[in-house]
Amino acid sequence: MGKEMIAMLLAGGQGSRLHVLTQKLAKPAVPFGGKYRIIDFPLSNCVNSGIDTVGILTQYQPLVLNEYIGNGQPWDLDRLHGGVHVLPPYQQASGSDWYKGTANAIYQNLSFIESYDPEYVIILSGDQICKQDYSDFLRFHKKKNAEFSVAVMEVPWEETHRFGLAVTREDDSIIEFQEKPKDPKSNLASMGIYIFNWDILKKYLIEDEADPNSENDFGNNIIPNLLKDGRRMYAYHFQGYWKDVGTIPALWEANMEVLDPEHSGINLFDDDWKVYSRNSGMHGHTVSADAVVRNSMITDGCRIKGTVRHSILFAGVTVEEGAVVEDAVIMGGTVIKKGAVVKHCIIAENVVIGEGAVVGEIPTDGGNGGVATIAAGVYVGDGAKISPDALIDENVKDGEVR
Amino acid sequence: MINVNTDALAVIFPNTYDKYLPEMTSMRLMASIPFAGRYRLIDFLLSSMVNGGIDNVAILVTKNYHSLTDHLGSGREWDLARKYGGLNVFPPYAVESLGVYHGWIQGLESIRNYLVDQKERYVVISDSYIAMNFDFADMIEKHAESGADVTIAYKREPIPEELLENTDPSKGMYYTLDLNGKKVINININPKVEGDQNYSLDTFIVSREWLIRIIDEAYIRGDTFFVRDILGKRGAEFDIRAYEYTGYTARITGMRSYMKENMELLKEENLDALFSGNPVYTKIRDDNPTVYHGDTKASNVMVADGCEIQGEIENSILFRGVKIGKGAKVRNSILLQDTVIGDNVELDHVITDKGVTITASKSLRGSESFPVYIEKGKKI
Repeated sequence: MGKEMIAMLLAGGQGSRLHVLTQKLAKPAVPFGGKYRIIDFPLSNCVNSGIDTVGILTQYQPLVLNEYIGNGQPWDLDRLHGGVHVLPPYQQASGSDWYKGTANAIYQNLSFIESYDPEYVIILSGDQICKQDYSDFLRFHKKKNAEFSVAVMEVPWEETHRFGLAVTREDDSIIEFQEKPKDPKSNLASMGIYIFNWDILKKYLIEDEADPNSENDFGNNIIPNLLKDGRRMYAYHFQGYWKDVGTIPALWEANMEVLDPEHSGINLFDDDWKVYSRNSGMHGHTVSADAVVRNSMITDGCRIKGTVRHSILFAGVTVEEGAVVEDAVIMGGTVIKKGAVVKHCIIAENVVIGEGAVVGEIPTDGGNGGVATIAAGVYVGDGAKISPDALIDENVKDGEVR
Repeated sequence: MINVNTDALAVIFPNTYDKYLPEMTSMRLMASIPFAGRYRLIDFLLSSMVNGGIDNVAILVTKNYHSLTDHLGSGREWDLARKYGGLNVFPPYAVESLGVYHGWIQGLESIRNYLVDQKERYVVISDSYIAMNFDFADMIEKHAESGADVTIAYKREPIPEELLENTDPSKGMYYTLDLNGKKVINININPKVEGDQNYSLDTFIVSREWLIRIIDEAYIRGDTFFVRDILGKRGAEFDIRAYEYTGYTARITGMRSYMKENMELLKEENLDALFSGNPVYTKIRDDNPTVYHGDTKASNVMVADGCEIQGEIENSILFRGVKIGKGAKVRNSILLQDTVIGDNVELDHVITDKGVTITASKSLRGSESFPVYIEKGKKI
C-alpha cells in the first residue's frame, strides 16, 4: 500500500552565513536549544504529525549529519517500511551530479519517492526552528483540493522586504509570489514548506530538468511554472513559532528565545509535542556549592562551579570556579576555565576558553551588538580577548587580542 | 578495544534483595530502584556487562517486575536488542512444573533448557543491588586463566550498619570470604563484624557446563540457595577463587544507605569514580534540558534533564522531570522523577518517590539516619 504523504527534507545547505559553525557539519546538524540539532525540529514534527517516511537530501559535510541520523531510532523513524533515509547525490548510469538546486535534489531521488507511491509529498527545510503540525497542513491542502500548497506566516509589514511573499485571494488561493519586494502586496511570508500532489510534483520536476535554462530551484522555477499553468495553489496560514536560523545573530537570538517561552512562543516543555534528539547519555548536571545559576537552561553532564546567567549550556559543558557566562550559547563538551568571562556569544562544541580569557561583551546601548562566535574544537588561550564581532575558527594564543 | 569475543552469558536475579528496601520495592524490585539522578540500579550492571562484551543476558524475575520490563523494553538502550542473545526476561511460571522460584538454584532450574541451548562457555551470575562500573571482561579473563570452577568478586569494604543491626536473616544473605591467596577457603554468611571485609559483590562466574551439572544435582539433593547450599556446603568439592574489585561501589541495603549512597555522588571524586570509564546506559525519556528561572539558588546539587527550578535547592539530587515551585527550599533531599514541589514548600532530609506532589507551603523534615520517605504517586 502506498503512503499518504512522505517528507523530503532539504538539508544540503552549506550555511555560508553560519560558516564558523558549519565548517565541518551541514547546517541542519548545527546544535540548538541545549540538546537538539536544528534537524530535530522538522524530524520531530514529521513523527508527531504521523509521517513515517522521510528522505533527507544532503551533500555538504554529511558526516556529522549521517552519524547523527543513524537508523532514525531517536525519532522513532526506524521502520520496516519507510523510516528515515539520508539521500546524498549518487553515481547513475548517465553520470553523477551534485544537487544543482532544490528541485534537482528531489528530481534525482524521484525513484525513492516512487517506491513509496505516496499521494502527497511535503518538502521541508532543514534550517528552521519551528514546531508545526504537518497533518493540519495536509488537511488544509485536501480541503482546498489543491495541487500545491505553501505554508505562510504573517510578518510585520516593515520586514516584508526580507521574505518571499505569497499574494492571495480571499479563499487563500495564490495570485502571485513576490521575492523580497520593495513594494509588497502582502505580508504573508513563505516558510519554504510545500505540499505537492505527487503526480504534479513529478511532472513539473521532469519538465524542469529538461529545461537547460532552469536553475532547478523550487522558488525560482517550479513554483513560477505552476502559477503560469494556473494550477490550484493555496497558502496555508501557520501560526506559532517559526525562525530561520541561517545567520549567527538569528541563531543566537533563537536560542535566547528558548529561555523565554512565554514571550517567544517556543516551548520545549510541551509533552504533547516533544522534540526528539539523540541523547548524550551523561549523568545529571552538577552545580557546586559556590556556583550561581539563573535564568538558564542546563543539560545533562554539565558541571557548574562558576556563574551562569541567562545562557544555554549543552551536554557536558564545564564552567570552572570564578568563570562568568552570560547571554551565551555554549555547545557540548566545551570548558570555560577559571576566571574566564564569556558573554553575548556562541561557543561551539569542544572549545576550551583559557583561564581569565574574555569572549564577547553585552552591548551597552541595548541594541544588537555583535555575537562573538568560536568554532568547534578551538583553543582560546589564557588571558586572550575576543571582541564582540569576532568569528574565530583557529586557536588563539595566550594573551592574544582578536 | 576488541571484546566482542567475551565468551559469557549473564543471568541476573533482580529480586534477591527486595527486602532490604521494602518501602521502595512495594511497587518495583531492587533492580529498578532509581539511583543517581537518572538511572535504575540495573543500568549499572547491564551497562558493565555490555561494555565487557556480554550480549546475552537472562533476567529471572519473581514479582513486581512491571517497572523493570517497562524500563528495559527490548533492551535497545543497552544495545541488547539482538538476533542472537540480547535481553531475555523470564517471568515465573515459564515452565509448567515450576512457579515462583525460591533461591537462585530453583531459578536456574527453571531456565535449565535455555542454558543448555546457549553457546557461551561461561555464565556470569549476579543480582542487582550494587551500582558499580564493573570490568566483566577482566574478571572473565582471570576466571578462564585460573581454571577455577567458580570465581567470586569481592571488595575490601565494611558491611553497612543496616546489615550489622539487622536480626532477621530472611531479609537477605550477604557473604564475606576467607581467603588463602586467591583461593576461597570459607564463605561466611551474614557475619556481624565491623571494619573492612572481603565483602562479596554477589557476582559469580562459572562455566555453563558446570552450572548445568550443579542444577541437576541440586534437584536431587534438594539444594535451594546457590551460595549457602552449593558454594558453602559443597565448597570443599570445588576450586573457588576470589576476584578483587577495587573500583567504586554503591550498595543499597536500606533507606539509610539509599540516602547516603546518592548523596556520596555529590562529591566530584565519587561521581567521577562511578561514571568515568565506560558509559552507563539508561532508558531515554527525551526530556528537554533543565530550566532555572530568575530567583533560583542551587548549591551542591545533581540535577537530571527535564527539571524546572524556581526555588532553592541545596545538597540534593533531582531526578528527571522534577518541578520546584517559587520560594520552595529543598535541602538534603532526593526527589525522584516527576516529583512536583509546590510554592514555598520546605523539605529537609526527604525522599520523594516517583510522581509525588507536595502542595504549597507544606514543611517536611527528616534526619540523616531517618529520612522522611513519601511513596510513589502520593499527594501531600
